[in-house]
Amino acid sequence: MAMEHIQAEELAKEFKEHSVAEFFKKNKQMLGLYGKIRTMTTIVHEYVTNSLDACEESNILPNIEVQIKELGNEYYEIIVTDNGPGLTEKTVGKAFGQLLAGTKFHRMIQMRGQQGIGASGGTMLSQMTTGKAVKVLTGTEKGKAISLEITIDPKKNVPKITNMQTVERKFQGTKVQAKFKDVIYRDSSTGPLEYLRRTAIANPHARIKFKGPKGQKALFKRTIKIIPKKAKEMKPHPHGVTVDELISMSKYTDAKKVASFLKNDFDRTGSTSIEKIEKKVKFDLNKDPKQLSWQESEEIIKAFKKIDFIAPNTDGLSPIGENRIKKSLNAIVAPEFVHTITRKPKVYAGGFPFQIEVGIAYGGNAGKKADGEGRSLEIMRFANRAPLLFDAGSGAISKAVQSVEWKRYGVRDLDSIPLTVFVNFISAHVPYMGAGKQAIADEDEIMEELRLSLMDCGRKTATYIKRKLREKERLMQQDMFYKYIPEIARALKNITGEKEEFLTTKLEKLVKEKLGLEKLQENLKQEETEPLENEVIEEVETSGEKEDKEKNTKENK
Amino acid sequence: MVKKKTKKKTQKKTNKDNAEKVASKIEKISKEIVSQIKKEESPTFLTSQRGRSNVEFDEKKGVLQLGEKMTSRNFLNLGHAKKFMQTTLVASKTFDYLKKNKTASIREIYYELKHSLGSGKENTFEDQTESDSVIVDLEHSAETIREKLNLHANPKGALYGDITLKDKMHNNDTFNMLQLGRGGWSIMSRMEPEEIEIVKTNAKYVLVIETSAMYERLVEEDFAKKNKAILVGVGGQAARGARRLIHRLYKEENLPVYVFTDGDPYGWYIYSVIKQGSMALAAHSGFLACPKAKYIGMTIEDIHDYELKEVTEKMKVGDVKRAKEMLNYAWFQNKPWQDELKRSIKEGVRIEQQALANKSLEFVAETYLPEKINGKKFLP
Repeated sequence: MAMEHIQAEELAKEFKEHSVAEFFKKNKQMLGLYGKIRTMTTIVHEYVTNSLDACEESNILPNIEVQIKELGNEYYEIIVTDNGPGLTEKTVGKAFGQLLAGTKFHRMIQMRGQQGIGASGGTMLSQMTTGKAVKVLTGTEKGKAISLEITIDPKKNVPKITNMQTVERKFQGTKVQAKFKDVIYRDSSTGPLEYLRRTAIANPHARIKFKGPKGQKALFKRTIKIIPKKAKEMKPHPHGVTVDELISMSKYTDAKKVASFLKNDFDRTGSTSIEKIEKKVKFDLNKDPKQLSWQESEEIIKAFKKIDFIAPNTDGLSPIGENRIKKSLNAIVAPEFVHTITRKPKVYAGGFPFQIEVGIAYGGNAGKKADGEGRSLEIMRFANRAPLLFDAGSGAISKAVQSVEWKRYGVRDLDSIPLTVFVNFISAHVPYMGAGKQAIADEDEIMEELRLSLMDCGRKTATYIKRKLREKERLMQQDMFYKYIPEIARALKNITGEKEEFLTTKLEKLVKEKLGLEKLQENLKQEETEPLENEVIEEVETSGEKEDKEKNTKENK
Repeated sequence: MVKKKTKKKTQKKTNKDNAEKVASKIEKISKEIVSQIKKEESPTFLTSQRGRSNVEFDEKKGVLQLGEKMTSRNFLNLGHAKKFMQTTLVASKTFDYLKKNKTASIREIYYELKHSLGSGKENTFEDQTESDSVIVDLEHSAETIREKLNLHANPKGALYGDITLKDKMHNNDTFNMLQLGRGGWSIMSRMEPEEIEIVKTNAKYVLVIETSAMYERLVEEDFAKKNKAILVGVGGQAARGARRLIHRLYKEENLPVYVFTDGDPYGWYIYSVIKQGSMALAAHSGFLACPKAKYIGMTIEDIHDYELKEVTEKMKVGDVKRAKEMLNYAWFQNKPWQDELKRSIKEGVRIEQQALANKSLEFVAETYLPEKINGKKFLP
């Protein structure tokens, strides 16, 4: 009945070790751990991303709770709890006590966690600012839960676990409690709450609960209960690889020869292309790939460039989906009108598949509060469902939004319009600008896709605005007619003796028919209440029941 | 006396008959609208299309007439809705006037019907031009004139001469115009036979005078008595009441009508309105026009005949333009008028009635008018 949970033990196999604790200390900027507000948001991001990824990999609908407590001046505790697969004694150390323990940096797979340095970064920062260990409570489906405290040996980059205890009660998931100094909590557009709100929008299958230091509470409900299709690991396309990446890959390959390494570990490389490469390089492709020199790698990359490969495979991309974005924008932003588009996958710079999803929400609570009254344009940027909160003014998304001629769509002033623009950029290789990884480079193909989808959204919004204005006008016209009707009825009654009430009713009916109001209103209502998807909106707490329903809906579809 | 009494009774009856007739017309139109509403059809009434495009000059009758083009006022048409509502209000109110035998000025009915609608930003009528225009609609729909709807405009104009009138709406007061002193009688806005009866006149013709000053001059010179003339001072463009009175003297008493105005486009137009009616009231020319009226002057010829060149004035640009337009008017398509207009344009001068005072104050009464009238020196 149940889909098989991928065991935590299996995931553990993929962890690989690095000694970079010292590096961390010197490069906090690169890891997003600078600025007192930003640091806090980054830590929340690291924990939440880990939770979401872990849940999805194990086919669990994520329930995540984030709590932030203020312990003193610029001194906070962050507690993140999930219902994920949990960790074992073997894996917990690597997850929280070893920097760069995962293989994220070397896998061609679409994932959220391309920013930052993972949960271990939190451990490192906590011990650096407070001298305290991070507390972890974790339990897998099998066996008993454990609680422990963890720090990192900064020189050896190995976890130090203390106070390990078996917990008697049943608990599946992971709860991490970490304390930080020199951080600040704010309810701002770059703070944790906004981060979670946007995360919830881009992850409609997740239920996210938040409790802030001042008692702020927020619950972002699950709007669909289907776990996103797993992104497949993609082999890099030969046109999307640098010399450095080639060398990194060669270190991890299972292939024994360069020829088989090129054939197996890359997309669209067949025997014919290997033969072509063979003729273009000066060394023997039977060489052990682990022995590849920089110069030899350069030769391979040069050879790649000269060969026409089929465009990259785009199967591995996993978009959120138009209807799901629509649903979650409706639920969380609460606008009057939403339009969403998931474009077909495209390729940028010759070798990198990517996909754009755009949503536009208009009216109601869409947009952000403007300085004066009213609301102004809000741009929500995402890379692989992870919100990009910082460097808001730069990057392809902001540039594309600015480049659209909104006036054409009846939007005169972006500073005074209730409009939220949602953009999710999907790729295994997100072309970030700068080390902060908060803005996407304006590659031509990316800009083109962004503009096309934004313009489509613009047109749909314009239609809606126009229809709304027309409706308003009609109502105004009805008001006008209705003001005249009693006068006419009275006058006609005076002359002919016909009953006023009868005349009024009939005239009102005639006016309504003339303006076609009844029909219009009906249409509008229908559109509003029409279910977007047959999926469930209610939250389901028991996992067994949940999967049954899921199966049913899938079959019904 | 006995005879008179009988006549009075008949008159009153006519008046009542008229009111009944007009009221029943309004009732008929209203019932038609009600039946449309019952059938859930768009409530509509017809009225004549007005404006230049539907006004024609009837050469045979010599009057301006409204064409047959009709236009509908449809409540469900956004552009008509308010007018439709306003028309029903005016219809209902005039229906009351007719039933109660009351009359009201068009300003009074405007104030009587004006009130705010709904939230109060909008009124039934924003200003009097709106109710005036609706009154005209109703006149056309009910195929009557406003006087018969018991409505009237502001009075203007004065009457003097040997003519006796009776005000049947006011104690049957009967009075001769020569006995009213130099002021003469103020012509009322409603000059309907049902209300004012022309009892008797010994006059030989009606002299219509453009300016009040010239009218007063002629009264002072005793012109009416000396020449057996009825003087009508219209004071610029003639009001409805004055036009109706002139028409009645022309029609009922068969008196020739002579028009005496300044020699300029404004004066010529005053004449043409008396003679063949106006664009705005083309529908009512039958009640108002005097197709056989004659034009005395001032003319270009007068300037030469009476050596008035020194007291002429230069025509303004607008005057010349207007005169050129008049060259094309259907009723000016005859040689004398074409010559008159062309000469005026060519010489570029205009001459006022009062310029005759250049000769002497009495000149107009003792020389100019008698010479023109007795010598039949008219323009057609």
